[in-house]
Amino acid sequence: MAMAALRREGRRFAAPLISPQPINPLRSSISPAEDQAFLGVRSISTQIVRNRMKSVRNIQKITKAMKMVAASKLRAIQTRAENSRGLWQPFTALLGDTPSVDVKKNVIVTISSDKGLCGGINSTSVKISRALHKLNSGPDKESKYVVLGEKAKAQLLRDSKKDIELCLTELQKNPLNYTQVSVIADDVLKNVEYDALRIVFNKFQSVVSFLPTTATVLSPEVVEREAESGGKLGELDNYEIEGGETKSEVLQNLTEFQFSCVMFNAVLENACSEQGARMSAMDSSSRNAGDMLDRLTLTYNRTRQASITTELIEIISGASALEG
Amino acid sequence: MFTILSFKVDMVIVPATTGQMGILPGHTASISELKPGVLSIHDGNDVKKYFVSSGFAFIHSNSVADIMAAEAVPIEQVDPASVQKQFTEFTQKLSSASTDLEKAEAQIRVDVLVALNSALSG
Repeated sequence: MAMAALRREGRRFAAPLISPQPINPLRSSISPAEDQAFLGVRSISTQIVRNRMKSVRNIQKITKAMKMVAASKLRAIQTRAENSRGLWQPFTALLGDTPSVDVKKNVIVTISSDKGLCGGINSTSVKISRALHKLNSGPDKESKYVVLGEKAKAQLLRDSKKDIELCLTELQKNPLNYTQVSVIADDVLKNVEYDALRIVFNKFQSVVSFLPTTATVLSPEVVEREAESGGKLGELDNYEIEGGETKSEVLQNLTEFQFSCVMFNAVLENACSEQGARMSAMDSSSRNAGDMLDRLTLTYNRTRQASITTELIEIISGASALEG
Repeated sequence: MFTILSFKVDMVIVPATTGQMGILPGHTASISELKPGVLSIHDGNDVKKYFVSSGFAFIHSNSVADIMAAEAVPIEQVDPASVQKQFTEFTQKLSSASTDLEKAEAQIRVDVLVALNSALSG
């Protein structure tokens, strides 16, 4: 019991009390730090290892809890995201999704999360946005950014500060609903001039797989232009337009509605992907912490046994020196 | 918030901006804007009514109609008493509205409530 207490105090007090060998008074005057450096074999003291084990254990618990929180949030939002897919399917059936359309003014809407610790999804969104930006800038083409979410804002501010038109953060303070998204869509449509809107987000396929996707929404003028040139949109002329005074008025309402529907779905899918990515990130983190804990336990036991052995050696050699 | 309903029916009546429009199989392809009103789905002798806030109806040439609405409420869930109350409140606001924006907002609300009222009674 006393030995254990002495051991806890770093063993520097045990040395002079146990063996009266001439070498020991030397050891007793050395501080614990020099003790370790001088003695080499006994590497780290158990106190330090024990502290590390405590902090790693805490981290493991925290990341496990974060994983469960993310799992429950994912469950809540997943059904909504899957249901909202039906919102834009009729639009795509009618107007088609043409990411290769060539227009003068592109606006890239990047959707990201506000909080971190969610793996690499925000970086992939920003990478794709930058690639789109590069693809769509040339002599008579230009592209601007509209950023949703803190993480993408931080990354894009660094090198594309002048190209960012609008920044929106704290989207998930209240549960996501269509009204909020339609207000955002309204904001974007009013303040930003565009020919094509490209929305970059992470589509949720399953808890472990998220696909970075781009959804393209064209402005009414471009829709008319594409309709005349043929292709998918060429069939648009077969449809009779009812309501509104002119075709362009109805087309404008149509594209605005399309934008808000696609945005709603994109925001929901991105939120799902965020929670899923956070789940897997926290899972690998707690597994990593568990591995680290195992290794530290082994080190701790080895250190403990080594110190017991050296004490025994000291006692026994002291005793045998007395006898012989 | 969003439920996707997809089934085969005999006829659908949608509240287009040009009036109530009935859609039967074989209707010509059309895109119509909807105003707030009652959407009724007829399947045999079964009639289901929903109140839709606004949206679009696409009718494709293969007899598939897509109806997209921002909000759709089954008519049973609409409370007549509160509709009446809001109607009187907003007609009053409309007459006392000063700016154009306020007038437009109040007008929209009154239109929706008139449609709701007629949906409930008719």
